[in-house]
Amino acid sequence: MPKYMFIFRGGAPEIPDLSPTEMEAHLRKWYAWAGELAKAGRHTGGQPLDGMGKTIRGRNRTVTDGPYAESKDLVTGSLVIEASSLEEATELAMDCPVFEFGGSVEVRPVVHHDL
Amino acid sequence: MGDRALTEAPATGLIEDLFRREFGRLVSALTRLLGLKNLTLAEDVVQDALITAMQAWRFEVPRDPKAWILRVAKNRALDVIRRDRRLAPLPPLLESEWTVAGAVDSVLAESETASSQLAMMFSICDEALSEDTHVTLILRLLCGLSSGEIARAFLVETQIIDRRLHRGRTRLQKLGALVDVRDIADRDVRLRSVMQALYLLFNEGFHGSNRENPLLPGMSADALRLAELLLESLSTRRAEVHALAALFCFHASRLETRLDADGVFVPLVDQDRSLWDRSLIHRGVVHLSAASSGTELTRWHLEAGIACEHAIASSVKETNWERIVDLYDALLNLAPGPVVALNRAIAIGELRGPSAGRDLLRAMAEDQRISQYPFYWAAMADLEKRAGNRAEACGLYERAMSLARSRAERVSYERRLQQLH
Repeated sequence: MPKYMFIFRGGAPEIPDLSPTEMEAHLRKWYAWAGELAKAGRHTGGQPLDGMGKTIRGRNRTVTDGPYAESKDLVTGSLVIEASSLEEATELAMDCPVFEFGGSVEVRPVVHHDL
Repeated sequence: MGDRALTEAPATGLIEDLFRREFGRLVSALTRLLGLKNLTLAEDVVQDALITAMQAWRFEVPRDPKAWILRVAKNRALDVIRRDRRLAPLPPLLESEWTVAGAVDSVLAESETASSQLAMMFSICDEALSEDTHVTLILRLLCGLSSGEIARAFLVETQIIDRRLHRGRTRLQKLGALVDVRDIADRDVRLRSVMQALYLLFNEGFHGSNRENPLLPGMSADALRLAELLLESLSTRRAEVHALAALFCFHASRLETRLDADGVFVPLVDQDRSLWDRSLIHRGVVHLSAASSGTELTRWHLEAGIACEHAIASSVKETNWERIVDLYDALLNLAPGPVVALNRAIAIGELRGPSAGRDLLRAMAEDQRISQYPFYWAAMADLEKRAGNRAEACGLYERAMSLARSRAERVSYERRLQQLH
């Protein structure tokens, strides 16, 4: 089955005093969502990304600190899933908890070579 | 960490519990290091570390979550100390790159957990602040609750909680450094305030005023955790603190059976005692025997004694009501109040029969504080029912229902009313 990558941007809460109860509740939604995908045999692996990093750019390989994106545009993780079409993959992303705190999901087909 | 699917989510409540504990522990430790004038900065660092953990744990929880949070908090703290000029002037240990990491490590160490949090509790329970502010600050700084959550628990506007927090933080910032519990002049006064605040905290979890959610087990667990922290330190290991911890253990042991599956209060007589938490009852008994080493009999001893009799009895009938009435007599003497008098009357109703209890209850009806309390009318109704006075019991249950503060209460009285028919 074709694979699709979900690229998560933002979704780090802007609410300053999110409490432990609310944080657990948010994580529960991720586990429930990923659990559903796994149960359907569609979930192949996820990677959370930390905020800190470096960017290397150009022929001169200039190294700068971080991707200085707006926090809503910062890539915060990715997940590869299996779906029959881009439409179906998009549908699967609709329930993603990243939207709770204003994040986004980019759905991209992963190139596969055996046709 | 890895490139694999989350196969098993951690048990419900584990992350929340960990975050609450770590919030209190780390905020206290960092405040101790950076001084009270940097209290909000310490809160920000810890909040940021927890949010980072939440983001990073979306796909998988690390093997040692506690160590994970600690590492992130430490790095954030070091960043802040190195970069944030608001902190100046810093103690020499934090000014030097050679010693700063070691200083942060040692204050965040597990062995310092109790003393930092004690210092925070004792600083909060300042005479210049009200009891309500003490409880609010403890919930915010030691349990990580948001002001919205505190407001919902106490049925007040969020702005009121924000104002209390502001007043409290301003006062704390003036203090400069966290108090040293081993060496303060008014330690006993502050200890009493700390105990009172923990008692209010526990009660809010046990029969709170929150309408939708009258039981908040997390709050009761926080109160027990903090009471046991007091016992870890020699300077606050007192008999009366053991008594308070015993009281919390006995009450907490039956927390889960107080509400049924529909979220309705279950009266003591109908609670399934086989579900009471034996290990908590045992812990309570251990605390209570340690409490008896003291020379002073406090209200906490008496309340714990009463709770103990309930916890160890096999049924309402098999309960040692004689001893409970004796304890209530002593409690009424030491800490007179309408709720104590009410509970004593109920105990007398069990010991000497419904009419003895009813006479005492009737005599209290003039007290405004009691006549607005639904439990009072329900207790009287229970006694009338036992005495065979159906019509009186009906009217009294209806009165209790009209005063009920939550659905959990109202439906509970409604059911007892229906049982009459």
